[in-house]
Amino acid sequence: MSTSEPSYPGAVAPERSRDFESSGIRLRLHEWGDPDAAPVVLCHGMFDHGRGFDTLAPLLAERFRVVAIDARGHGDSGWADAYTWMNDVADIGNVMRSLGRPCHLLGHSKGGGQATEASCQYPDLVRQLVNIDGFGPSPEGFRPPGFEVDPRSLPERFATYLDRRREGEERSWRAYASLDDLVARRKRQNPRLSVEWLRYFLHFASRPVEGGLVWKADPYAAGGFGPWKPEWANAYWHRLQAPMLAVIGSERDTWGPLPEALLAERLAPIARLERATVAGSGHFCHMERPRETAELLLGWLER
Amino acid sequence: MSEPIALRHGRVSLALHELRGGAGRKLLCLHALGATSESWREASRAWPGPVFALDFSGHGRSGRVRGGGYTPELLTGDADAALAHLGDAALAGVGIGAYVALLLAGTRPEHVPAALLLAGDGLAGGGALPDPDRDRGGAFPPPEFHPADADPFVAACGIDLRPIDYARAFAERARRLVLADLGADAPPWWVAAAESAAVERLPERTPAAALAALART
Repeated sequence: MSTSEPSYPGAVAPERSRDFESSGIRLRLHEWGDPDAAPVVLCHGMFDHGRGFDTLAPLLAERFRVVAIDARGHGDSGWADAYTWMNDVADIGNVMRSLGRPCHLLGHSKGGGQATEASCQYPDLVRQLVNIDGFGPSPEGFRPPGFEVDPRSLPERFATYLDRRREGEERSWRAYASLDDLVARRKRQNPRLSVEWLRYFLHFASRPVEGGLVWKADPYAAGGFGPWKPEWANAYWHRLQAPMLAVIGSERDTWGPLPEALLAERLAPIARLERATVAGSGHFCHMERPRETAELLLGWLER
Repeated sequence: MSEPIALRHGRVSLALHELRGGAGRKLLCLHALGATSESWREASRAWPGPVFALDFSGHGRSGRVRGGGYTPELLTGDADAALAHLGDAALAGVGIGAYVALLLAGTRPEHVPAALLLAGDGLAGGGALPDPDRDRGGAFPPPEFHPADADPFVAACGIDLRPIDYARAFAERARRLVLADLGADAPPWWVAAAESAAVERLPERTPAAALAALART
């Protein structure tokens, strides 16, 4: 390693990191706490990684075996040839099944949606579900700041997608000169995350190359094309058997929370629902307010 | 049997088989879910010009998509790689190949003069809308799905959602669509596509007869 590991107040590196094979893809799992304790499985959001739980996990590890997944194509997990939502959901199921007993499952953002779907799909594997602001996009979709909606027809947009795939060259990230440049990039997208935290978090999201640093995540991880409708976000949620704790932050942020009426509509099919709000946090409750989030979870999760 | 033409799509290598050479209008054949280009060998004799048949990724002599991730759109990228190699070609697709032919005919109308859509495995996908009662608890890929010469993970192309407005958008941009349901039940996307102006319906009951009818017009 050319750079030493950074530190951040309250962040604890995983006690164990190991590889796990799921459907032919190598996943990196990060673990904290007693291996014999009840497992809590953590699923991160789009283009994040399992070390984003470095401040929350050690607090949960006082009572639980905490297992954070690097999703395929993210963090230190292997890359796939193509990415779909259902593959990530299946990976979560495979990890839970490997732990040998029903799990508490927690997901954030995209990972929250996938954790919810995994709980519907594998009811025997999930005791309780925590979803942190992963209730699907608004009907307009997720839009980074400055992003314009493409007004062209579906086939025209698909033609552009196919044109790019025809070019045949392996897509790659541009190199950033320094960690500070990565931090500045991400800070523009998620202004609520502190520079100090981003320096820690993005150290593990990047790797050194000639000329600087590139994201570790597979550039193709967000590259799919296919039909999707807002009303599909919760299409299977009436099947959820485990109780769900639905968590949002109190502050408006780039990607959430959804307007209350829409959120209530999304959550309506959940039979055993509890809701909570983390004060002073935006979309990234576990990163912005790890102590308050852990307190909430330790009060809700059964031992 | 001659060696297939090797093409690349993303990280996967594809096998495009030249079933018959010669001059004239080219035909690109797309097989059903879990099948291979071999399934087109007999029927494609009904076409008067050169015939090519693609093994979709995960099928036959094409590469497997590591870790799964098969979607109709990914397979359309496979067919588009073959179309890029051929220049212009009519399409003939069975089952999932028919849905792919629709997507490609609507996306590259300038290079696809006509597309013949035939019923077969993978035609319906998972329907037009999420089925709230669908059994989702089972293993994936389903243990009962074990194609002889395909990756079991291609089963994902049998459960994906195919909304009717999505299918219609592609149907409306296609130059010419020819549908032959061969007596099978038509899924919602097919019914929607059939309402578009560029569509003709064929009463023929076999792929060879439908192909001959397409060639005559």
